[in-house]
Amino acid sequence: MKHVGKSEEFLEVIQIHKGIIYKVANVYCKDEEDRKDLVQEIVIHLWRSFESYDDTFRYSTWIYRISLNVAISLYRKENSRKRISNPLTDGIIKYTEYTGSDETEADLNILRQIISQLKDLDKALMLLYLEEKSHKEISQIIGISETNVATKINRIKQVLKQKFIQFKK
Amino acid sequence: MENAELINIWKMQNAKIEKALAVNEILFKEVINNKARNSLRPLARLKSAGVIAFVLYILLLGYGVFYAISNYSSAWNYFIVSVSIIALINIRGLTDYIRHLSWVNNINYNGSVMEIQQQLARLKLSIIQHSKIMCLQFPFYTTFYLSDKWFPAEVGIGYLLLQTVITGSLAYLSYWLYSQHKPENFEKKWFRKMLEGSGLTSVINAMDFYKELEVFKADNSDV
Repeated sequence: MKHVGKSEEFLEVIQIHKGIIYKVANVYCKDEEDRKDLVQEIVIHLWRSFESYDDTFRYSTWIYRISLNVAISLYRKENSRKRISNPLTDGIIKYTEYTGSDETEADLNILRQIISQLKDLDKALMLLYLEEKSHKEISQIIGISETNVATKINRIKQVLKQKFIQFKK
Repeated sequence: MENAELINIWKMQNAKIEKALAVNEILFKEVINNKARNSLRPLARLKSAGVIAFVLYILLLGYGVFYAISNYSSAWNYFIVSVSIIALINIRGLTDYIRHLSWVNNINYNGSVMEIQQQLARLKLSIIQHSKIMCLQFPFYTTFYLSDKWFPAEVGIGYLLLQTVITGSLAYLSYWLYSQHKPENFEKKWFRKMLEGSGLTSVINAMDFYKELEVFKADNSDV
């Protein structure tokens, strides 16, 4: 049994960075129920890895690494995904739907749709780019060189922009 | 369209998302203190049951071979050779199985995405190697009951033919299945169908993803 103080510390870290988990789940899962399950699965993996957290990296880097690894390995190309063995009826991270302006919503939906069509690794790169992570941090999360990060992001951005314009027409 | 525009569209959701998100503390604590352990239990049970079944089967085969050697007569020759080979293949199967379990348990999602995904893809692909080896035991299930005392001298031509056809067919099937376990076939519909039934769809996905990772890495050299 882990120490109570440890779980309080963990809870605090998750409270601060909950947005990362939600955004990763949002990018990799279209279905609401799948998203809840993925969030839960990510939290379980984060908790299991919390003891071995390497403090040379920032918490956000650590959370991105684990969240992306879980999302890619568990949700990849599975049409009928198996539910985790002990599902919870409600989500750990609750989300209250907001309503933005129509145009904002429309643009955001187009962007999400285009990102959802990308390959898993490109999705991860794009998510980190849009979150304005530095090339150095992206390279630490993904595990490729900074030069490679820059080249790939440029390529994906071009595709993204072209598609965005096509969608808007 | 400027880069900043894309980022701004994305950012529009961020501020609101942060406000709209709330951590359900009760569920959260339940998950980290209890459900996380519970959710892993059925998987661990299943894996342990697999290892136990493997061990029991190997012990049974081992006992059979031991008994045959202890009470040796030439009548046991077919049995000793067939069961020994089946046992050896299953010992190899058991070691593969234990190795896979240890890999699965030791994968730490802390690592970079490329590193971890490659490890996972490699692990899944090694299951192919395992099933390939296991195929080799099929023909020996058709020979262990034969005995020097009555085979082939005392059997009719009909039985001899039947035995040859059965053993020959299974030997060919084993060889054929063994040789078909290669990446080129993963693209073929019939092979995918055959593996899907054995729950190996994830292996096919892993192979596809492994290729994707290789391309992703290879792009590096263009830079």
